[in-house]
Amino acid sequence: MYLTRFRLNTARMGARKLLSSPQRMHAAVLAGFPELTSASSGEGRVLWRVDRGAKAKAFLYVVSQERPDYTHLVEQAGWPTLEGGWETSDYTPFLEKLTAGDVWAFRLTANPVHKVRTCDGQEDTKTTPHITQHHQAEWLLQRQEKAGFRVVRKAAGDPHPDGEGERELLVHDQRRLEFRKKRGDKSSVSLSAVTFDGRLEVTDPETLRRTLIHGLGRAKAYGCGLMTLAPSESWSR
Amino acid sequence: MSVLVLLLAGPLQSWGSSARFARRTTGQAPSKSGVLGLLAAAQGRDRTADPSDLAQLRFGVRVDQRGTRIRDYQTAHRPDTGEAMPVSERFYLADAVFVAGAEGDDDLIGELDRALREPAYLPYLGRRSCPPSRPVALGLRRETTLEAVLRREEWHAAEWYQRRHRNEPEVTLDCFLDAAEGDREVDSVRDLPLSFDPSHRRYALRGVTRRGVAVPNPKADPPDHDPMSALEGD
Repeated sequence: MYLTRFRLNTARMGARKLLSSPQRMHAAVLAGFPELTSASSGEGRVLWRVDRGAKAKAFLYVVSQERPDYTHLVEQAGWPTLEGGWETSDYTPFLEKLTAGDVWAFRLTANPVHKVRTCDGQEDTKTTPHITQHHQAEWLLQRQEKAGFRVVRKAAGDPHPDGEGERELLVHDQRRLEFRKKRGDKSSVSLSAVTFDGRLEVTDPETLRRTLIHGLGRAKAYGCGLMTLAPSESWSR
Repeated sequence: MSVLVLLLAGPLQSWGSSARFARRTTGQAPSKSGVLGLLAAAQGRDRTADPSDLAQLRFGVRVDQRGTRIRDYQTAHRPDTGEAMPVSERFYLADAVFVAGAEGDDDLIGELDRALREPAYLPYLGRRSCPPSRPVALGLRRETTLEAVLRREEWHAAEWYQRRHRNEPEVTLDCFLDAAEGDREVDSVRDLPLSFDPSHRRYALRGVTRRGVAVPNPKADPPDHDPMSALEGD
């Protein structure tokens, strides 16, 4: 497995086009793999996420089974004259090193949804995004054990005496993505993405490895579901 | 027990608990009498009606956006005779946002929630000239306590205000709650309504404690996250 980071040059039209449409970004990410026939071939799929930080910094992260070639992306949306342009690291040693009890800072952009019955007694359900931060956090906490980790509880002494808000978890950057799949399509795809930041403890390394490779939740083609880990000291509040 | 949650936001608000005569001051947060008056009005009660059932609700308010205190120097004349009215000084909170909660038994809280959604008299923020800018009713929360609601409710400050605090992932907001037994540092405020009757308004003393609650800031800058630093270079 490989983890790739690509810095987008937000001053370029190409980068803006990609950032404005998850559909285009998805195509551009997959275009880095000449051998790939579909998004979900073989073991694991290509997962990606865009991290937008302060000062117009935007990073594209990609987790993939093959080593990607993003020359086309550099030409469209990067810094062609700078050396390198993107960095790809072998992810496997890191994944194999994961052990139960490890604490890592994590980031995950996801599409937290639930099913709602539109009318009483009706069979059909409608997939609806979670709107409040509280429900979004709950969505993640409900999935943590099955995904092989546990969000760390805050140290005692924090001013949260009861069960609420006592996890080291930050829900931010909620945004609504709306785009057409093809030019001229009448109906558009609409989904709600939110970013989780926090600290987790590894409970089941095998399952967590799967989560990191296969993603969490829905809308994986549109930049949701990719979780990454960073040294836990980097998480400061 | 249920808790009724209200959002008090508007360009101007004014919550006087000790205002008399020509100097009409405002407190830094909504008064219990002001908010109960708003609820009684929503229900369509007369001013002469007994407010004691409302006064028993446990009341608390959270300061989501502090606002600025501004002073208005008001002159007025009687329209019919042209006679001058006493010159008065009026104080307002500009651009403030509060979350208020009232805890009580399910029936009364449910009734008040319904009344707020279809108010008999329109709600205003302490003074008739101060309309709310967002819907006042935030709904009711069942089987919980006032403290838990104020701790859990998301931060309702304006986006520009939240962005101004972008360096703070969590902000601490002041809460003013009805004092319970055993609370230390209790202030007394005369804003517990005994009667709203215009001919003899009467208020009793109320004990208030101040507490800070930490709520997440949705507009905070995210912490740095560098997954590449965890990997061994290849």
